[in-house]
Amino acid sequence: MSEAPILSVEDLAVTFSGPDGRRTRAVDGVSFSVSPGRTLGIVGESGCGKSVTSLSVMGLLPKVGTAISGRILFEGRDLLRESERSLRDLRGDRLAMIFQEPMTSLNPSYTIGDQIVEAIVRHRAIGRREAAQRAVEMLERVRIPEPAARFHDYPHKLSGGMRQRVMIAMALACEPRLLIADEPTTALDVTIQAQILELMRALREETGTAIVLITHDLGVVAEVCDEVAVMYAGQVVERAPVEELFRFPQHPYTVGLMGSLPRFDRPRTRLAAIEGAVPDMSRPPEGCRFAARCPFRIPRCETMPELAPVGPDRSARCWRAPLEELAA
Amino acid sequence: MRTDAHAHEVPVLEAHDLVKHFVARKSLIGRPLATVKAVDGVSLAVRSGETVALVGESGCGKSTLGRMILRLVDPTSGRIVIGGEDVTHARERDLKGLRRAAQIIFQDPFASLNPRMTVGEILAEPLMLHAIVPASERPARVAALLEQVGLDPRHAARFPHEFSGGQRQRIVIARALAVEPKVIVCDEPVSALDVSIRAQILNLLEELQARLGLAYVFISHDLGVVRHIADRVCVMYLGRIVETGTTAEIFENPRHPYTRALLSAIPAPSPTARRERRLLEGDVPSPLSPPSGCHLRTRCPHVQDVCATTRPPLDPVGPTQASACLFAKDLPPAGDLTPREAPLDPRLEKLFAAFVGDDETAAARTAAQ
Repeated sequence: MSEAPILSVEDLAVTFSGPDGRRTRAVDGVSFSVSPGRTLGIVGESGCGKSVTSLSVMGLLPKVGTAISGRILFEGRDLLRESERSLRDLRGDRLAMIFQEPMTSLNPSYTIGDQIVEAIVRHRAIGRREAAQRAVEMLERVRIPEPAARFHDYPHKLSGGMRQRVMIAMALACEPRLLIADEPTTALDVTIQAQILELMRALREETGTAIVLITHDLGVVAEVCDEVAVMYAGQVVERAPVEELFRFPQHPYTVGLMGSLPRFDRPRTRLAAIEGAVPDMSRPPEGCRFAARCPFRIPRCETMPELAPVGPDRSARCWRAPLEELAA
Repeated sequence: MRTDAHAHEVPVLEAHDLVKHFVARKSLIGRPLATVKAVDGVSLAVRSGETVALVGESGCGKSTLGRMILRLVDPTSGRIVIGGEDVTHARERDLKGLRRAAQIIFQDPFASLNPRMTVGEILAEPLMLHAIVPASERPARVAALLEQVGLDPRHAARFPHEFSGGQRQRIVIARALAVEPKVIVCDEPVSALDVSIRAQILNLLEELQARLGLAYVFISHDLGVVRHIADRVCVMYLGRIVETGTTAEIFENPRHPYTRALLSAIPAPSPTARRERRLLEGDVPSPLSPPSGCHLRTRCPHVQDVCATTRPPLDPVGPTQASACLFAKDLPPAGDLTPREAPLDPRLEKLFAAFVGDDETAAARTAAQ
C-alpha cells in the first residue's frame, strides 16, 4: 500500500466478437493495482473474466476479433500502447506468468535446463554457460532436489509439482518485477499445492516481486494474498485487504461464495448455495449483474451500482453495502 | 452422523481385501514385466443412509476402487458383496442386477451424457432397460426424476448442451436415481463445478440420501467437502487404506502421519486461522516401485528402521478408528492441524442464512431459469 504500484489497471474492458457477429464483453471496467512485494488475489468463478484480465496484462489475447480499452500501466508505461516487439522484451524479463497446467507450458522435446537457459539468454547479455549456471541456481531456489542432475531431464520425467517448480524457476530467472500466476496450483494435489504456495510466499519475501494470483479458491486466497479483488460477470464487485474480506465481505456474491465453503469450525449444516447461474455475457443485464441470484435485491438493483468505497481501503459494487446493516 | 443409528444393519456394500494389479509393461511374449498395485488389499463396508468417503491424492487408487465396486474394473482378487449378494464373479448378463443396486456418478457431467439424446431420452433409457415402469408411464417418471433433482420437467425435450455444468450434474444424478439404486459411487462429483454450484449439488446429494436412504461411496480429494458430507472416512495412499474412522475421529484426532499431512495442507478460507503445518517432503513415489514396508516411510517425519521391513497392518486405535502406522499409539498429539478459524461475525452467519434456501425455493428458482 505504501509503495507506488508497479502495475495499475484502469477501466479495462475487453470485448470479443464471434464469427456470428455476437459480441461478448468478457471484462468490463476493471481497475486494480499491486505494489512491489505484495500479492493481489483475483478471485472468481469460470467465465468471470479473471483469466482474460491477466492475459490482457501480458498482451497475450488474440489480436483479431478482440477490442481492448482502458489503461494497463506497468512501471509507468501503458502496455496497451506498446509495440509487440517491446512487449516481447518485457515478457519473461520484467513481467512473467505461470499457468495452471505446467505440462502444456513446457516444450516436451527440450530439457528443462535448455528451456530456462533460453529464457535467460533471450533477455540478458550473457553466454550460455553462465546462463546454465544461473538456471541451476534457479532450480535450487525453487527447492528442486539435485538441481544439476535435473537440469538435463525432459519435462515428462518430472511430476506435476516438480514441473510447476520448473515453471516458477523459469518465470523468476530474470527477476521479474511482476509475476502473474493463473491458477498455479489448481492441477496439483493438496500436499503439493501446500508446498508450491509456501514456495511462492518465500520467493516473494526474497525477491520483492509483486504477484497477481488468479484463482477460484478462497482458501488459496486466504493463504497467500494481501489484497483481493472479487470478480463476477466481467466486473470487480468487491476489493479489500484479505483479513477484512474474510472478516466481513461487503458484496452479496462474496457472502454467497464464503457461505458455500464447508468450514472446519462450523457444525455440518446445509451449505449456502448461490442458486441460478451467471448471466449470458453477450447480453448482460443492465442493472447489477448479480441481482437475479441475490437474496438481498431491491428495486434499485435494476440500475448498475458503481464500485464505491465502504470503509478504509475497501469498496463494493452493491447498493446495499455496507452489508452489516442488513443483518441488524 | 447417521452411523450410530445404522450400526446394527447389514451393510449394503461390502468389499473384502480387494486387489487390483494393472500390467504396466509386457515382454515380447506378453509376460508382465512391471505391475502397478493400484489397489492393494482394501476392505470396506457401507450401510444404507451412510456416506463413506475415500480420500487421497492422485494415484492412490480411490477411483480404481470405486470402479471395482461397480465391476467396471475386474478385481485381481478379493470379494465384492452388494445387497447380500456376491457379485465378484457375476457374469456380464448378471451384472444387470448389480447395475440396479449400484450406480456411479463421474466428475465431468458433460462427458457422461450423450450429446445426441434429449434429457428425456437419457432418463427413459434406464427405465426401459431395467423395465422399471411400463412404457406408458415413462414420461411421467422422467418428469418426477427431473423434479427430484430440482430441474424443470418441461426441459425434458432439451439436449445436454443447453444446460449449465451444475444442471448437467443434476441430470447425471437423476439418471443414476432412475433405477432406484441402494448405493451410489460418487467419483469426484463436484470437482469440475464452480464453488457456488458445488454447494447446490452437495445439498442435493444430502437431501436425496435423507429421503431415499441411499448409501454413498464418496470419492474426493477435497477434504473440506469430505468433512461436510461424510459419516466415515478412509484415507488412501498408494493403493492402501492408511487410516479409517468416523469423520470426527479423522479430522479431530488423526492417528496416521499421512492423514495429518493431508489435513495440514488444506488451504483454510480464513487468513487469521492458527494452525500447525506438517508438510510432507517430496512427491508421491512411483506406484511402479513403491517403497517396501510402509509406503509413506520415504516422506514420513516419524520414520524408523522397522518401517522399511514391515507392512503395517490397519490396526484398531479406538472403537471405530484404525491406523496403518506401526507407531500410531506413540505419535505426538495431533495439535491444530485443521485451521482454528476466528469465530464468524454472527451478522455474517445471518447473511449466509439468506442463501440457504429450503428445498422448494431452490427448486423453484432453478426451474424458473
